[in-house]
Formats: sequence, structure tokens, C-alpha cells
Amino acid sequence: MENKTRKYRWTVLGLLFVAFATVPIWGSDYLLLFCLLYCLYLGMAQMWNLLVGYSGLLSLGQQAFIGFSGYSVAVLTNYYGVYIWLSVFLGGLFSVLLALFMSLFIFRMKGIYFAIGTWIFAEMLLLWFSNWPYVKYGTGLFIKPAHPPSMTAIYYAAFIMGAGALAVVYTILRSRIGLGLMAMRDDEEVSETMGVEIFRSKLFCFLVAAFVTGLTAGVLYVFQIFIQPYKAFAIDWTVVLVFIVIIGGIGTIEGPIVGAFLYVLFSQYLAEYAHISLLLLGIIAITIILVAPKGIMGTLQEKTGFVILSPRRILADQ
Amino acid sequence: MEGLMQPILNGILLGGLYAVIAIGMSTIFGIVKLVNLAHGDLMILSGYLSLVLITWLGISPIVSLLLVVPVMFFVGVFVQGVLLNRVLGKEMEPPLLVAFGLSIIVQNFLLLVFTPDARSLMTDLAVKTIPLGATLNLPVLYLADFLIGVVVIFAVYLFFRNTYLGRAIRAASDDEVGARIMGVNTKLIYAYAMGIAMMTAAVAGVLVGMTFTFYPHTGPQYLIIAFGVVIIGGLGSMKGCLVGGLILALAQLLGAHFTGPGYQLLFGYAVLLIVLGVRPQGLFGKI
Repeated sequence: MENKTRKYRWTVLGLLFVAFATVPIWGSDYLLLFCLLYCLYLGMAQMWNLLVGYSGLLSLGQQAFIGFSGYSVAVLTNYYGVYIWLSVFLGGLFSVLLALFMSLFIFRMKGIYFAIGTWIFAEMLLLWFSNWPYVKYGTGLFIKPAHPPSMTAIYYAAFIMGAGALAVVYTILRSRIGLGLMAMRDDEEVSETMGVEIFRSKLFCFLVAAFVTGLTAGVLYVFQIFIQPYKAFAIDWTVVLVFIVIIGGIGTIEGPIVGAFLYVLFSQYLAEYAHISLLLLGIIAITIILVAPKGIMGTLQEKTGFVILSPRRILADQ
Repeated sequence: MEGLMQPILNGILLGGLYAVIAIGMSTIFGIVKLVNLAHGDLMILSGYLSLVLITWLGISPIVSLLLVVPVMFFVGVFVQGVLLNRVLGKEMEPPLLVAFGLSIIVQNFLLLVFTPDARSLMTDLAVKTIPLGATLNLPVLYLADFLIGVVVIFAVYLFFRNTYLGRAIRAASDDEVGARIMGVNTKLIYAYAMGIAMMTAAVAGVLVGMTFTFYPHTGPQYLIIAFGVVIIGGLGSMKGCLVGGLILALAQLLGAHFTGPGYQLLFGYAVLLIVLGVRPQGLFGKI
């Protein structure tokens, strides 16, 4: 029985994968845009979920990586003429370097101190970039590659990020590290006694999240063409990630899949009323935390046992 | 050396203001074990509240405190009683995220009602200075900030030491189960504690509004200042609050003196990160 439902799940996932992979062929321009944004937010939200939902690292500073990577792309393509996708990749690497540097400070902090520490780093980067002549202060930079990539190319890059982030999270959680992370989430002290290398696992997840978030943000800025410090390093990014993960279900792989869809849908409808949409996002997020703290997918799993991608292992084969 | 005296004097006076900004957050941090991420935004909300009152009634910002402070007490009781108390528990994420959501709601509500324009609370104190020498001036507004700040902190200190409610709040914080057995309604106590924290935030918001311009999005900036003061000074320590405020303000103003005002905040953050890295419990905190 278990095997059959599992096969069924993989078929559904395979069909979804093919559907997303072929959107540029059959979809309208609007649908393509929608799927592009969906994939990008899915990538970033999966990473935030990996940090908060699985590794116990409440980061309020993902915008540090988003902005840093976006600026790397802008500077590399504009000032050095680096090939656009290579600069996106380098942007991801720079994010990892930034994460390594940040970890020197913030990995000495725990819980709330860690959360505020990450936020302060993002704020410092915002101040630094908005005062830095090299990147034209707060006015921002246009990303002008010699050969601008087509919308289809950008879509596939975004698709790789969305599907890739999903695969990365799934692989990590199914691995030894993931097992350790989940043990740690349940009881940090006991798991440490049992030999889980907490510090290294956490750092590993932090760096992976920085890399994927950086890459995803790079693709986002290739799409947006323009980067400006007050937007790139804004706390609004974290607001969006919190919303996506909370509404979908924190600590589930399916949560961000559902949450990102709802967010993109929501933001498209309210695109013209930016602050009303943030106001509503805040109200919805608080209501969800108070009423159904496990989010849509978490509550569904609890009530019906419905899972698409479970990081759990089944001990005995039926 | 001559030129350094002015930023040092201003830094000391500003430190008093920073201490009031932080005292409410420190109190809640210490008592409810909660970081109120909406502290800065609720402070700015008081600034706007005062703005409405001084425009309607034509009173001075200081007089508007008579109304703003009690209103913010009830806002605090509501926020804690209706929202935050429901998610207090073992895990730290839910209350933090509720507070974060509240911060976003307050910011965008203010943006909706008051537009993104810069505001300030006009007073005639703003332009007055007392000359202390050839090059040194004492800005009266900063002096008022400092004095009011010290008074507020002393009042909070006396409240927690000498009143029944203050002692009940401390008891609920030290031993929640014990306090409940002795008949203390800890949830209600937490709501009162937040109310008191918001009263200090109201004073801070009005002082900030008189001293600087503010926007709907200024909240997080003061949240980080408050957090910085609490981190540098140490958790739940009143003395730490004052000293932390002084250190942070001095670091910012001296930093700005040497490198220009654009980097002023950057220096404050850097000091904060160094303290966090070297002595996470703060200068006066217990481990």
C-alpha cells in the first residue's frame, strides 16, 4: 500500500516537473511571468525553511545575501563585462563568503541574538552600499549585460533554482545531516550527547542557504534589470519569506511550495497597492500563527497524514 | 581635541534618549523573555499619536504625553493580552514572528494613514542652545531628552522595587509557577508589564519625534538601537540600559565625527556586533 502511494506521488511530481519545464512552450506570457516569480520565491523560501524550520537558525537577514549577490551580478556584468550567468554563479559564491564572514560573529549567538545579529548585518550592508560611490550610492545600478538573455533563458534559470532548491533541501534532509538536524530540533542537548555535530550541521545549512539564496537572487536581478540598496537589502524580503513559510507550514517541505504559490497569486492581485498588501500579509501571518501555527500543509499532515515529500525514513519495508 | 568635545557632549546627552528607547524592550526581554520586534514601530506610533494631538489641540509635544502615555499603556496591554500571551511557550519562534508581523502591520498602517512624508514634532526648544565656551554649545533639546530619560528610568526602577504590581511582575518573572501558586495571574501580569513598557515607549517616541524627523518606516532603526543598548548594557539591568545608551550614542557620534554622518549608524552596529561577539551577556548582564 505504502509503495503504491509513493509511486503515485512520484508520478504527480514528475508531471508537475514536466509541466513547469515546458511552460515557455505552451504558456502565455503572463503565465510564464507567474511561474518565473513562483520558482524564485520557492527557491528562497525553501532555504529560509531549511534554516528556521529544520536547523533552528531564525534568520531575519536573508536580504543580506539577496542584496549582496544582486550587487555582485550588477558590478561584475557592468564593470567587468563578465558573462551574465557566470556572474550569477559568482554572486552565489560571494554570498557564501559573506555567510562565512557573518558566521564568525553570529554563530556565537543563539536564538533571538542570532536573529537580530543577521538583521543587523543586513542593515549594515544597506548603509554601506547606500554610502558607497563605487555602486552609485542609493540611486542604484542597471544590470546591462552585452547580450541580454531572453525571457525563456531567464525562466529556465529560475526553474533550475526552484526545482534545485527543492532537491537540495530534500537531499539534505534525507542525509545523515538531516537526520541529525531533526534530532536537534526535537532536543538539542540530547542529540548533541548522541553525537550530532550541531555546530557543523548548522553552519553547513547556513552556507548552503546563502549559496542558493544568492543564486536565486542573482537570477531575480537578471530579470529585474535594476538594483537599488533600499530595496535589495530591505527587511521586506524577510517579511515575504516569513509569510510564505508560515502560511504554507514551517518545517515541512511542502509548506513553501504551497505558500509561494499563494504569495505570488496574492501579490499579483495587490501589485498596485504595495503597502496594503504588506499590511494584509502581516495580518494573515499573525492569524495563521494564532489559529493554525503549523500552516496549511502542517495542519493537513497532522489531520490526514498527507505528505508529498517526506524526509522521514520508513524503517521496515512492508 | 577641541572639536571632539561637542560630539562627546552630544553623545552623552543622546545616550539618555537611547536608554529610554531601550528600557521598555529591556523590561519585556527580562520579564516575559520575549523580544518585542515591534517595539520600535510602537514607539513611532506614539510619535504619530502625539503629532495628531498637537495638530488638533495645539498643545506642545510634552503636554501631549499626558494623553499618549495612557493610550499606549492600553495598546501594550492589548498587544500582550490578545496576541502575544497566546503564543508564549517553549518555542521562541511563534511570539517572535507574531511581534514581527505586528511590526509590519503598524508600519504599513502608518504609511496608509500618514503617507511616507517625513514628520517631526515641532517645539521651540529645538533651536535653543546654551553656550558652554568658545566652541562648545549645549543643545537644550538634547538636554531635555537626557533629563527626561533619566527620570523615566529612575521611575521604572522605583516602580519595580517599591510597588505591589512591580514586585508581582518580578515574582512572575523569577518563578512563573511559584507566582501562579501564590495567586498571581501571570498572563495578566505580563499584559501589565507590556503596558508599562509601552508607556516608556510613548515617552521615547515623543522625544525622538521632537529631536529627529520620523517616517512610518523608522521603527526598525530604533528597534536596532534599543536592541543594541540592551545587548551592550546587559539584559534586564537598568544601570546597563543607561551605560549601554551612552556607549552606543558615543560610538555613533564619534564615528560620524571622523567619517561623516552617512556612516553614523554603521559605527553603532559595529560596536554592537563586537560586544555580541566578545561578551554576549552584555557589560552588566548575568550569564
